[in-house]
Amino acid sequence: MAETEVLVAAGGASAPQGGIVAANVRRTFGDVVAVDDIGLAAPAGCVTALVGPNGAGKTTLLLVLATLLTPDAGQIRVAGYDPVREPREVRARIGWMPDAFGTYDTLTAREVLEFVAAAYRLPRARHTVRARELLALVHLAQFADRPVHVLSRGQKQRLGLARALVHDPAVLLLDEPAAGLDPRSRIELRGILRGLAAEGRAVLVSSHVLAELEETADRVVFVDGGRTVDEHHLADLRPTQRRPWRLRALDQELLLSSLAGLGAVITGEPGLAGVEVMLAGDEEAAELVAALVRDGVPIVACAPAAGTLEAAYLEMTEDRR
Amino acid sequence: MSTAAQQVIERGGDPEPRVPRMSWRGIATVAMHEFRIRLRTGRWRWLLGAWFVVLLVFTSLLRWALAAARPTFPAYYMGGPGQVDIPPPPPIGTPMFGGLMLFVLGLALLVVPALTAQSVNGDRERGVLATLQVTLLTPTEIALGKLLAAWLTALVFLATTVPLVVWSVIEGGVGLGRVVVTMLVVALLLGVVCAVAQCLSALLARSTTSAVLSYMAVFALAVGTVIAFALTLPLTAETRSVTERFPVWDGPPPEEEFIDPDGRFPPPAPPTPPGRQGEPDRWETQTYQVSDVRPEKVWWLLAPNPFVILADAAPSTQPRFDPRSGARLAEPLDPLGEIGHAVREARDPSDHRAEPRFDTVPPEPTPEQQPGPVWPYGLVFDVLLGAGAVALTIRRLRTPVRKLPRGVRIA
Ligand SMILES: Nc1ncnc2c1ncn2[C@@H]1O[C@H](COP(=O)(O)OP(=O)(O)OP(=O)(O)O)[C@@H](O)[C@H]1O
Ligand SMILES: [Mg+2]
Repeated sequence: MAETEVLVAAGGASAPQGGIVAANVRRTFGDVVAVDDIGLAAPAGCVTALVGPNGAGKTTLLLVLATLLTPDAGQIRVAGYDPVREPREVRARIGWMPDAFGTYDTLTAREVLEFVAAAYRLPRARHTVRARELLALVHLAQFADRPVHVLSRGQKQRLGLARALVHDPAVLLLDEPAAGLDPRSRIELRGILRGLAAEGRAVLVSSHVLAELEETADRVVFVDGGRTVDEHHLADLRPTQRRPWRLRALDQELLLSSLAGLGAVITGEPGLAGVEVMLAGDEEAAELVAALVRDGVPIVACAPAAGTLEAAYLEMTEDRR
Repeated sequence: MSTAAQQVIERGGDPEPRVPRMSWRGIATVAMHEFRIRLRTGRWRWLLGAWFVVLLVFTSLLRWALAAARPTFPAYYMGGPGQVDIPPPPPIGTPMFGGLMLFVLGLALLVVPALTAQSVNGDRERGVLATLQVTLLTPTEIALGKLLAAWLTALVFLATTVPLVVWSVIEGGVGLGRVVVTMLVVALLLGVVCAVAQCLSALLARSTTSAVLSYMAVFALAVGTVIAFALTLPLTAETRSVTERFPVWDGPPPEEEFIDPDGRFPPPAPPTPPGRQGEPDRWETQTYQVSDVRPEKVWWLLAPNPFVILADAAPSTQPRFDPRSGARLAEPLDPLGEIGHAVREARDPSDHRAEPRFDTVPPEPTPEQQPGPVWPYGLVFDVLLGAGAVALTIRRLRTPVRKLPRGVRIA
């Protein structure tokens, strides 16, 4: 949170700067507090992940950033502009991908993109070219002339990403872009997002696919109950609590007896995937592996059973259980 | 709450500092997009086909019915021995055109609300409105573009009636001015209906609710105005006392004199005894209460009625003259003219039909005394209604949104 406040102060009202800075954002719907107090920074050149349980207020926050909802309170700068007072400036610079693509009846993928290009007032000559470029980017070129409503969910998601990129925006607000994507498309999405960030754009992406985010995101913002719980650089993310690590050895019986001798806490049922042991951090893991090797166990693998992000997420939502 | 947040709240109270910009290109972008979607769905072909078939059947039946009912020569014109000229029969075209246009308007009022009744909330339900709102299209462009597409669709429907209108013109008795004015008025009224239905779709969350309500709005204009007029008319009644002076004969009243100019009947019975005729014995006065309705106080309730506007705005038919004698010929039946005449009559304060008249014949109203037209008031009212509806739609399309209706997600 300290980081956010510094950025807000630096951003100020006049100096336009890239990325998203938000502080103390609040938005209610009648009695429902959807966003209570969220602050975050999504600097240019970074992929920032917005992570939180269902109903945490992620979509609502993205709607506020996308100039669709007025915040009840809070200070926001998107690409250096205020979404409430200067929505046009913000709109010219953001690409928003909603969590659902929407129904365009019988329009084809190409027509949708050409229409969006016209809506963003791209020069007329660019419409067709831009649509073709984007369809190629999201690997939908062969579906260009299919009606949108026959596309599969994953194909629609990819088209949704293309739609958000039509006007070459400096800031991207993506609401669960990975939902419904097949493994290859996810890897491609990762490549696209990394590429966008490398070009100096700010990418804010909400997602529940933590393993994927771990590969993609530079920073992560945890929200829960409409509040920012934590904001990290992924590199700094070091869960301190005990969590499951998975061990695999050529001889599982030997591994189990050796673990029993070392007094390790085994969780779950040992299976083909290996044996899960509760450990607190990398140091403890290193010590255990060393001990097992001393015992002559032919150890093959030792890794956290869940990703860093997933572990941190589970840690955050621990109290819910 | 932090001071920064406080500032934002206070700032939020300001009126929006930016005037929404608007460009024809933006409107055209939205309109073409909407029009393409409408064209693609394919239903319109069936709708348009059904529309034309219904109108064709109606017009043909009307044409035959009018031809059958047209007064033929012997019954119509009892020529004397020296009179052999047959005057031209009244043209069928006038009643045919009037009936057709009233029917077209009625049918269009049934079809047109469906064109825009779901244009805003339907888009929101389908999840495509918000993606439109985050682009550089302004709310004005979105509202006007959608309205333009719907209106053009309505005009396509109107355009298919042109062959039938031409038919009625060929039948004679319809001036070109009448055709042009009537078509323009119908086109304008359909635009108003589109605007009102679109406004309701922007105001209400559910597309079914807004569809029902836009039909209710059309019903209110087309039927509600007439009901309101009929129900408020008795409330305008003014009671006044009338004193009458009338003759009294103490004996039995004098016999009515039987008038027999042709002398075809036998001579009447012997006249009544003298003294019973002529001056009455005395005069008596009697005072009683008369109640008059004053339609000129509530005629304006009829003005917004689309049928009234259409009928009253139609220029009156040219008087026809016998080409040989130069005598003015009987007017053909003219539904538009009749309705227009009736509503203008309602404006006339000198017309007290409830007043009993014994002795005086009301003077024929001179042209200067003719009550003024009703349609300008109605048309201005309806166009203002449409303009207000568009303005309200634009307001409702503005983002960012502060207040959302209950149970609505913007995306
Ligand atoms: N228009 C609205 N009216 C009333 N309540 C709303 C509205 N929009 C959102 N909410 C409520 O606000 C809370 C946050 O919703 P939001 O959609 O932002 O969650 P989310 O973090 O995106 O969840 P998910 O991960 O499931 O997408 C929820 O409890 C939701 O019910
Ligand atoms: Mg969501």
